[in-house]
Amino acid sequence: MKVFEKDQKVKIHLKINGQDYETETEPRRLLVHVLRELGFTGVHIGCDTSNCGACTIIMNGRSVKSCTVLAVEADGSEILTVEGLAKDGKLHPIQEAFWEKHALQCGYCTPGMIMEAYWLLKENPNPTEEEIREGISGNLCRCTGYQNIVEAIKLASQKLRMELPKAH
Amino acid sequence: MYPPKIGYVIPDNVKEAVEFLESHDDAKPLAGGHSLIPMLKLRIIRPSYLVEIRRLPELHYIRVEGNVVKIGSMSTHYDIVKANIPLLSETASKIGDPQVRNMGTIGGSISHLDPAADYPAALMALDAKVKIRSNRGERVENFSSFAKDMFTPDLNQGEIVTEIEIPLLKDYKYSYQKLERRAGDFAIVGVAVALKVNGDVIEDARIGLTAVNKTAVRATEAEKILMSGKISEKLIEDAATKAMDYANPTSDIRGSAEYKKKMVKVMTRRAILAALSR
Repeated sequence: MKVFEKDQKVKIHLKINGQDYETETEPRRLLVHVLRELGFTGVHIGCDTSNCGACTIIMNGRSVKSCTVLAVEADGSEILTVEGLAKDGKLHPIQEAFWEKHALQCGYCTPGMIMEAYWLLKENPNPTEEEIREGISGNLCRCTGYQNIVEAIKLASQKLRMELPKAH
Repeated sequence: MYPPKIGYVIPDNVKEAVEFLESHDDAKPLAGGHSLIPMLKLRIIRPSYLVEIRRLPELHYIRVEGNVVKIGSMSTHYDIVKANIPLLSETASKIGDPQVRNMGTIGGSISHLDPAADYPAALMALDAKVKIRSNRGERVENFSSFAKDMFTPDLNQGEIVTEIEIPLLKDYKYSYQKLERRAGDFAIVGVAVALKVNGDVIEDARIGLTAVNKTAVRATEAEKILMSGKISEKLIEDAATKAMDYANPTSDIRGSAEYKKKMVKVMTRRAILAALSR
């Protein structure tokens, strides 16, 4: 059993976008704070009340709102942020689709929206429009009215399904 | 927003967790944290230590044993959706949003016991049992007595929920209907219905209501009406009307008491019809 006192710095280990990081944090600090301090500022703090989804990341394969996870709770986790999607200077198909369909205006919700789309398409590679809308119901966008975001996720789903045979 | 300063405990097993909780009066167990962490941020609670139980492997399982389903308390809503358990999986799929379902746990939800939470409607309809563990051993309570009052489960300091047990309703038709103001919100009215249909009669009816009382209730008189004759529009209408007798809602941001009470009838009818059409 490990017991940490309230002022104690706790050493935590995270694997973020494939790289190992070690850092120290007080027990009360949130995962979103630690990720941003480590330079992953694509993880946004929006509402800070687990409503808006701007802080969505993938933790151990599942999408979570990093403003509602303590950093100490994430010790030992594998984390994927929006910064980990592009490979070799090439955008991820979801990012391309958001670009092509103009699925953003101010862009604040975009990293969270993209990470939730990433998880949605992993769970359900060919979602219906209704499933897409339900899938992003935990992510708020105050600019677009969602229409182009839904279009982008549809396009991303096509792109990813076309890519799949090549990947195997 | 930061939570207040807190100590943090990572036990290796349930035994260590309950021992620590027993010996530290204002320590609290941390499950998925999706009610607890927002409450910490708002300073509604200020525990001395959080005791992390979410990752304890012994609380992660969903097992079908004969006619019952045993669910480890740290199973997430996502795990429960994926497990295809009659009525309970559909109820879990209506909780919050996908990210919340990935972290939130059934044990955490019923230990918090928000009066508008979704699970209690199904757990009442299913006559669920709750297994509770402490330093002194284990006890099992019916969910109906476990849910004493709003935000007031039958849990003493040093006790945690380890398992939820429900009957496996193999031959039932079921539905959970939730009225919400916007996607991901708590229920304005939630109705869980499970029906055992034989030809044109209902042999067993179970109706659980959430969000319209201090705790979830089972609308037993409405169930009796459903079992009293051949299935007809009138029978369903009468049962749905009777369900309103079990609603004692309060007016709040999600609607007036009068509106909510009327919606109990509408949602009960919808749930019965959705179940029958399965």
